[in-house]
Amino acid sequence: MNTLIIFSLLVVLMLTGMPISIALGLTVLSFLFTMTTVPIESVALKLFTGIEKFEIMAIPFFILAGNFLTSGGVAKRMIRFATTMVGHYYGGLGLAGVLACAMFAAISGSSVATVVAVGSIILPEMLKQGYPKKFSAGVITTSGALGILFPPSINLVIFSIATSGMSATGPNGEPVSTASVGQLFLAGVVPGLCLSVLLGITTWYRARKYDYPRMPRASWGERWTAFREAFWGLLLIVVVIGGIYSGIFTPTEAAAIAAVYAFVIAVFVYKDMKLVAVPKVLRNAAAMSSMLLYIITNAVLFSFLMTSEQIPQAMAAWMTSQGFGLVVFLLLVNIILLAAGNFMDPSAIVLIMAPILYPVATKLGVDPVHLGILMAVNMEVGLCHPPVGLNLYVASGITKMGITELTVAVWPWLLTMIGFLVVVTYWPPLSLWLPHLLMK
Amino acid sequence: MLSRFLDHLEEWLIAFLMGAATFVIFLAVLHRFLAGVPLLQDWMVRINVSWAQELCIYMFVWMAKFGAAYGVRHGTHVGVDVLVRALSPSKAKVMVLVGLAGGAIFTAIIGTLGARFVWENGFHYALYHALGIAGPDLFEGPTSPDLEVPTWIPYACVPLGSYLMCFRFLQVGWAFITTGQLPHHNHGHVEGLEEDVTDQVASPAQEARA
Repeated sequence: MNTLIIFSLLVVLMLTGMPISIALGLTVLSFLFTMTTVPIESVALKLFTGIEKFEIMAIPFFILAGNFLTSGGVAKRMIRFATTMVGHYYGGLGLAGVLACAMFAAISGSSVATVVAVGSIILPEMLKQGYPKKFSAGVITTSGALGILFPPSINLVIFSIATSGMSATGPNGEPVSTASVGQLFLAGVVPGLCLSVLLGITTWYRARKYDYPRMPRASWGERWTAFREAFWGLLLIVVVIGGIYSGIFTPTEAAAIAAVYAFVIAVFVYKDMKLVAVPKVLRNAAAMSSMLLYIITNAVLFSFLMTSEQIPQAMAAWMTSQGFGLVVFLLLVNIILLAAGNFMDPSAIVLIMAPILYPVATKLGVDPVHLGILMAVNMEVGLCHPPVGLNLYVASGITKMGITELTVAVWPWLLTMIGFLVVVTYWPPLSLWLPHLLMK
Repeated sequence: MLSRFLDHLEEWLIAFLMGAATFVIFLAVLHRFLAGVPLLQDWMVRINVSWAQELCIYMFVWMAKFGAAYGVRHGTHVGVDVLVRALSPSKAKVMVLVGLAGGAIFTAIIGTLGARFVWENGFHYALYHALGIAGPDLFEGPTSPDLEVPTWIPYACVPLGSYLMCFRFLQVGWAFITTGQLPHHNHGHVEGLEEDVTDQVASPAQEARA
C-alpha cells in the first residue's frame, strides 16, 4: 500500500514537468510528514551528507574533462582518423561515423553532444557523397549513444554510487559486495566494443546491399598522421582506465587528473580553446554537475525512504513467492527500463531504479556488475528508441527530419541494439569476463 | 543592481569552486607522486595534504547547492514533459506554474530545516560568543575530522543555497507569468562548429523545463 502511495505521488509530481530532483524530494517530504514518525529534521542533514562522499565527486570531474574536449575540433580529428581506417569499405563514411561517434562519445561523456558534434560535421559530407539522408541520420543517431559503455562513463559511476553501501544478499543468504567503479569501467569495455562492431556490421551490410559509395583506401602514412592527431584525446581513456586498474589512483582522483589532462590537451596541444574560454567551460561543467548532484541528493533521500519502508525487500519477497525465475525477472527489468527511457533522463532512471532492482537482482543471483552493464545498455537503447529518445530529438534538429521519419530511419540499427541487449541480458560472461580476468 | 550582483556572484562562485577543487585534488595526487621520489621525499613528507579530500567534498557540495540555483535560472534541471507537451497551452501554463511552485515550496522547506540545523549545531554558539552574550549552556557543535572547522560552516550551504534556489524559482515563475518565457538550456551545445546548428534543437526535456 505504501509502495503504491509513494510511486503514485512521484509519478503525479513528475508529470507536472517539475525537475525530477524536486519531484523526488517533495515525495519524500510529504510521505515522511503525513505517514511516518521519522523526524523531518533528519532530511535537512541528509541533503548535505547524502553527497558527502569522495566517490561521488568523480562525477563533476568527469563532466569537466568531457566539457574541455567537447569541441568541433576534437570531433574533426576523430572523424579524420576513423575515415582513414575504415573509409575504404562499403559505406565508408557511415562506418567512419560509427567509429568516430564511439571515440568522441567516450571522451566527451555526452551522447547528445556526440550526435551534434559528429553529426553536424559528417552528415553534410555524407549527403555530398550521395548517401540517402535516412541512412546517414540512422547511423549517427544510434552510434551517438555508444559512450555510455566506454570508460569514463558517468552513467556507470552513478550506478556504482546508487548501489554503494547497500547490504544485499545472494540466493543463499550470503552477503554480496557492490560493484566498484573500476570493475564497472572494465566490464563496459567488451560490450561497448561488441556493440560498436555490430552497429558497424549493420552499416556495412546495408551499404553493400544498396551499393553506397566507398572512399579511396588511405595510405599507412595518412593513417599515422591522423592517428597522431586523435591520439591525445584517446589517451584520456587510457589514463583513466590504466590509472584505476593499476591502483595508481582512486576513480575520483583519476577523474580529477582526467580533467587537468583534458584542459592541457584542449588549450595547449590541440589549441581549440583559448585560455579566456576556460571560466565559461568551468561554469558550464559546474552547472551540469550541480544538476546531477541535486538529483543524486534527492535520490539518496528517496532511497532512504524506500529502505526505511522495506520496499525493495518486499518486492524481492514477492518476486520469489511468485516463483519468478531469473529469466522472467531480467525480462521485466528490461521492459521497465525501456519504458522509463521514454520519459526520463538516463541518470535519473539509474538513480531511482538501481536501488530498487539491486536487492532483488542479487537475491536471484545476478552479479552486481552485470546488472550495471545491463542497465547501461538499456539506457543506450532508450536514447534512440521512439517516441521520445533524446538522441532522436537532437538528430531531428540537425537533420531537419521529423521524429516519425527518423524513427523509420533508425530501425535497422535499433533492432541491432535490441538484439544486443538480449545477448547482454542473458549472457553475463560478456560483461564479466574482463573484470574477472583482470581484477581477481 | 543587487540582482545583477547576485547573478555574477553565483556564476563566479560555481566556476571558481569547480576549478579550485580540481586543482586541490591534482596537487594532492602530485604530492603523493613526489613523495615517492628519493630526493624530494624528506621535504614532501613535511607537507600534510590529508585535508584535500575533505576540502574537495565541501567545495563540491557548495558548488552543487549554488549551481542548482543557477540551474533554475538557466533551465538546466531536467524534468518529465510528456504530459505538459500534450496539453493545450492554457492548461500547460497552469502545469508549469504548479511545477515551479513545487520547486519553491520544496526549497523553502529545505532551507528552513537547514537553517534550523545550522543554528542549533554551532552557529548559535559562534554568533553569541562573537557578540559576547553567550550563555553557559550553549552547544558548541561538532568540528570536521580533517580540516577541523566547525561543521556549521560547510553545512551553511544548505540554507543559503536552498533559499537562493527558492528565490530563483519565484523569479522564473514571475517571468513566466509576465512574459510567458521559460529559461532554456541547450544540452547539446558544442564549441567550434562552423554554424551553430543546435539552436533550433528542441529536446523533449527542454521545452517545459522549469
